[in-house]
Formats: sequence, C-alpha cells, structure tokens
Amino acid sequence: MTQTDCDDALASLYQYLDRELNTASSTEIRSHLDECSGCFQRFDFERRLKSVVKERLSEEVPDEFIDRLRLAIAEEIGKGS
Amino acid sequence: MAEQVDFERDAMQYTRQLYSAAMRMTRNPADAEDLVQETYLKAYRAYHTFQAGTNLKAWLYRILTNTYINKYRKESRRPSEVDLGSVEDLYLYRRLGSEESAEAARTTEDRVLDGLVESDIKTAVENLPENFRLPVLLADLEGFSYKDIAEILDIPIGTVMSRLHRGRKAMQKALWDYAQSRGLLPEGAEKP
Repeated sequence: MTQTDCDDALASLYQYLDRELNTASSTEIRSHLDECSGCFQRFDFERRLKSVVKERLSEEVPDEFIDRLRLAIAEEIGKGS
Repeated sequence: MAEQVDFERDAMQYTRQLYSAAMRMTRNPADAEDLVQETYLKAYRAYHTFQAGTNLKAWLYRILTNTYINKYRKESRRPSEVDLGSVEDLYLYRRLGSEESAEAARTTEDRVLDGLVESDIKTAVENLPENFRLPVLLADLEGFSYKDIAEILDIPIGTVMSRLHRGRKAMQKALWDYAQSRGLLPEGAEKP
C-alpha cells in the first residue's frame, strides 16, 4: 500500500459511495479498504453521513395533502372524459 | 406508450419523495404542495407521451425540477456560487478525526452524526445555492445515478459531478458550524 493507493481511493470516494464505479474499480477500492484502515474509516464516515443526510431530509406527507392531490388528479381525469 | 388510466397507480407511489424534495426546494409546505400538485397534473396531461417501462421516477423529478425552476427561480436572489475558499475535501471528517485515539475519534463522529438534528441537515441543504442544492438533493435524498441527474437537470455528467462535489463540501462546512454551536465537539477541537 502506498500513498498513491490512498490518494486514488480518496479521489473516487464519492463515485464509490454513489455506486458509479464499474465492477473492476469498485473491487480495487474494496481491497484497498481491507488493507488500509485509515481509508476505511474515511469511507465509513462519509457513508454514514450520506445515510444520515438521506434519513433526515425525508418528510412525512400530510394526509390532507394526499387527499387534495387525489381529488385534483380525479378532476383532471374528469376533464378529459 | 403509457395509458393515462394507469397514471394514479404508477405515479402516486412517489408522493413522499417528491414532497420531500419540494420542501427542500421551496422551503415551505404551502409552496411544496403547490409544486407537487402542479407536477402531478402536468405529468398526467403528458402521460400518454411517456414511454412505458422507462424511468417514471426520473421523469417526475424532471417535471418537478423544471416547474420549480420556472416558477420560483425568478424570485431567488440567492448567490449561485459557493465560496469554498480553503474548504478541503472530507471537511467534517478531518476536523473530527483530530483526536488522540481511534476510539475517541469514533465517539466524536457518532456524537456528531447522532446529534445533528433534522433541522440542521435541512437548513444546510436549503442554504446551498440552487445549482448545488438540486444535484445534492437528487443524489443524496433520492439516490439517482449521475446519468439520471444529468438528464433531469439538462447538464453534462461532468458538471453533475463537480456540483455534487462542491455542494457536499459546502454542506459539510455548514454541518461543522451546527455541530460546534450544539456543543457536539470535544474541548479543543480544531477551529475552522
């Protein structure tokens, strides 16, 4: 393991977490993470942050709004028939 | 082509996701509801042009995003760039990791990730300039691929990647400030 391996892995960090890498590149990163606990911790933190962001950005939709939305769509459907 | 009679069955499953995105775009429930409703009505009217079997969710997001941009962007006086000056990659992690031991660092990370409340994350995203906010929402809230985001926003994939990168950095910087003001950091943690 060299500094270059770490730099390469970090340069692809988001692409890896966003599942944008091809199989070969993902495998390369995974084996680097097995060998390098420093990078593993960095990747793990970013992965956890990404899931915290996703979870806490989500909203409950008010039931009344769902009702209004269904009604609006039904009216629109009615117009066409 | 998709049948309009199937619209409700096919499209209503995305209400929560579209509403969540609309809340982060418009920043208030009344406008978010208007935006989602307008999106559904536009999608219904055009549904006969929709190619059945292609990505309905991405198409709905494209309508949502374009409706948002056309309707609300004119009113926006927010800056369209983020000043990232000396903000480096892994901004948050680097600042949390300056502990003596790996265990202590992990404890701080957990405290910060648990302690940042919904409003911190929401505000951090809402305060991003729109150019950055939309890609971050599409990637981190929705998990769209870069290719889908490029199609939804009509920008090249390279631009998606650079905006995501910058948007996430700016978000991390904001989260660091919230973590600090909530007292989630240990004594003597490095100041930005």
